[in-house]
Amino acid sequence: MTIVDQATGPSVSRIGLRFWSAALAVAVFLVDVLTPLEGAVAVLYVVAILLAARTNRRHDIMVAAAGCAALTIVAYLLSHGLQSIASPALRALVSLAAIAITTVLALQNHTATNRLAAQARLLNLSHDMIFVRNRANVITFWNKAAEQTYGWSADEALGKIADELLQTTYPDRRDVIEAGLLDTGRWEGRVQQRTKGGAAITVDTRWALQHNHLRKPVAVLETHTDVTERVMAHGALVESERRYRRMFDASRIGVAEEDWSDLRKALTALNLDGAGLRDHLSRHPDFFWQVRPLAKITNVNPALQKMVGASSSSVFIANIDKLLDRSDRKFVGALVAFAEGEPFYEGETELIRLDGRKIPVLFTISFPAGPDGDRNVLAFVVDITERRQAQDALLAAQADLAHAARVATLGEISASIAHEVNQPLAAIVTSGEAGLRWLRRDVPDLREVATTINHVVAQGRRAGEVVARIRTFLKKAPPQQDMLQIGDIIEEATSLVARELAKDDVVLTVEIEAGLPPIRGDRIQLQQVLVNLLINAGQAMSGQSGSRVVTLRAGIAQAENLAITVQDSGPGIRPDDLPRLFDPFFTTKNGGMGMGLAISRTTVEAHGGQLSAESIPGSGATFRLTLPFSQQHALP
Amino acid sequence: MAKTPVIAIVDDDEGVRTSLASLVRSLGYEAHAYASGAEFLRQSPGNDPTCMIADIQMPVITGDELQAQLVASGRRFPIIFMTAFPSELVRQRVMAAGAHCFLGKPSSGDEIIRCLEEALAGQAQQ
Repeated sequence: MTIVDQATGPSVSRIGLRFWSAALAVAVFLVDVLTPLEGAVAVLYVVAILLAARTNRRHDIMVAAAGCAALTIVAYLLSHGLQSIASPALRALVSLAAIAITTVLALQNHTATNRLAAQARLLNLSHDMIFVRNRANVITFWNKAAEQTYGWSADEALGKIADELLQTTYPDRRDVIEAGLLDTGRWEGRVQQRTKGGAAITVDTRWALQHNHLRKPVAVLETHTDVTERVMAHGALVESERRYRRMFDASRIGVAEEDWSDLRKALTALNLDGAGLRDHLSRHPDFFWQVRPLAKITNVNPALQKMVGASSSSVFIANIDKLLDRSDRKFVGALVAFAEGEPFYEGETELIRLDGRKIPVLFTISFPAGPDGDRNVLAFVVDITERRQAQDALLAAQADLAHAARVATLGEISASIAHEVNQPLAAIVTSGEAGLRWLRRDVPDLREVATTINHVVAQGRRAGEVVARIRTFLKKAPPQQDMLQIGDIIEEATSLVARELAKDDVVLTVEIEAGLPPIRGDRIQLQQVLVNLLINAGQAMSGQSGSRVVTLRAGIAQAENLAITVQDSGPGIRPDDLPRLFDPFFTTKNGGMGMGLAISRTTVEAHGGQLSAESIPGSGATFRLTLPFSQQHALP
Repeated sequence: MAKTPVIAIVDDDEGVRTSLASLVRSLGYEAHAYASGAEFLRQSPGNDPTCMIADIQMPVITGDELQAQLVASGRRFPIIFMTAFPSELVRQRVMAAGAHCFLGKPSSGDEIIRCLEEALAGQAQQ
């Protein structure tokens, strides 16, 4: 739909117009020449020119004008020759003047029409939907974008009432808006409309009132921009922000919003890579605290405020240097992670509450990627006081139980232990008596005296070692994490039970592979496990008359594990008992507490290992424990 | 006194064994030490000691088992038992089988010597 088409009209073609224009000109010429009419027939040529002008071609107008002027002059010459006759000559001149004036006007009209057509084409080029409605709200113009967005073609839209067609919903009363428009000549707003397909769209609309020459409003130009997607995207953004705020405010996890962009500038200025920065930080320990204020905290959620006892976000931010433990090197790690472009850094540390109390926390600092990432650093903080307390309580309970079990174990073998202490004591007393006698001889034998005294000293040491071994075993201490050689632990454990096994005629064989790597753990607890397994093995064979052999082997299993097996030659474990062997309070011994193996398994699992039992009834039982070798061989 | 009395000492504990041997020698007797009953039994009956001091709790062959075997094979000499676990049951059993003394560990040197000298005096009378 263009204005050019409208001007030409759909019914009469361009060729037809040219034909009728020419035919009319020829008819006027014939009448002018052949009839004796003494009138201004030639004036009718202007009709031919007007017809030609309707083709809207400048060329057609010029051709028609030139043709008509030529015909006028030819007709005059044919009728009157070169004689000058005043009246006919005047008529011919009037005709020529009429032709000239008509041509000029037609050409002017043509130019104006073309300008309008160009403007209309520009309106069609617009991405905005543009239409014009008259004072009765009837649509009189409808551009291409309107066709595309609303779905109605111009033919369908023209002549319709705009509000009815588009089912427009206004933000205000329609008559109030119209009044405003008449008052100011403009109106802008956001309205809801429906397309031909029924879809609801949101548009930003601008109205301009068009007046006629009498300043009377005649039409309204409406320009609409489809903002449906923009509104939806904005809505989603608002919802997302609201959701984030809810999480920020209601979460039990402490959250701090931070802007690290100045810190990035400072780090960039240093021009160091990650290793270089680490090195710089180790040589200048205060560097972190110099640059720390550059990591600006912008907001702190209620959970984090509560965690440190701050009454507001600003109180938290004002005291930030007091809240962080200056001795903690983890912040250095965070700085290096940030400098190296890691997406996050996490760890455990302690915050110092405003009341001075320290609280253990787990934290994650996330460094978002992208241009604005440095301005949107988030730190998440979880208070693990309760978890830590529960963990400590559990560890303490386990240690207490293990200690109780060690006391019980020693109680079981107290006779052997008494014997072990008694033997050196007996030797000391006897040696002392012997020494005295050598001394009181008529001729004191000093060589023998010296031998007995040496003996007393050696046996005294031996008794001391036995006592020390037992004291260590009975010591109540929190579990340690030491680098341990399994050979030492086996040696200590077998020393404790050697007498007990010997008493029951049990032969103990120990085979340890050479060059076993160290393990990591608690010496006493592991010793306790072995003591337990060895005593159990000895006791399992107490009722049998044949040979009683316990074999302890230590070696490597699957490269990174230490495997220790304790095998006896007893009657084995009944298949029914096997699955319940490690259950607390399960025992097959008279007066047994049934905690030994349960505690042993807990201990081994706490060391990252496993303890299992297998048995073929009639041919002994084998307990197998595995422990991971320490990965930190370099540590002392 | 024609011949120095020989005292056999049977104890699996080296410290006890050595100290007893020293005490016996300080009295002027000859001491032969054995780490186990089996070791003693390996030597020929002809070299039997004048007296024996033996532990009760020893692996493989206990003191009272050793006594029983000696009695069974007719080898008779006084035996002084010393034990860190003096139980009445064992005391009655070994005394019934002819033991000379039953001492706890540790015992004073005087007590050991008194037992030893009584035993040797008894031997001398026979």
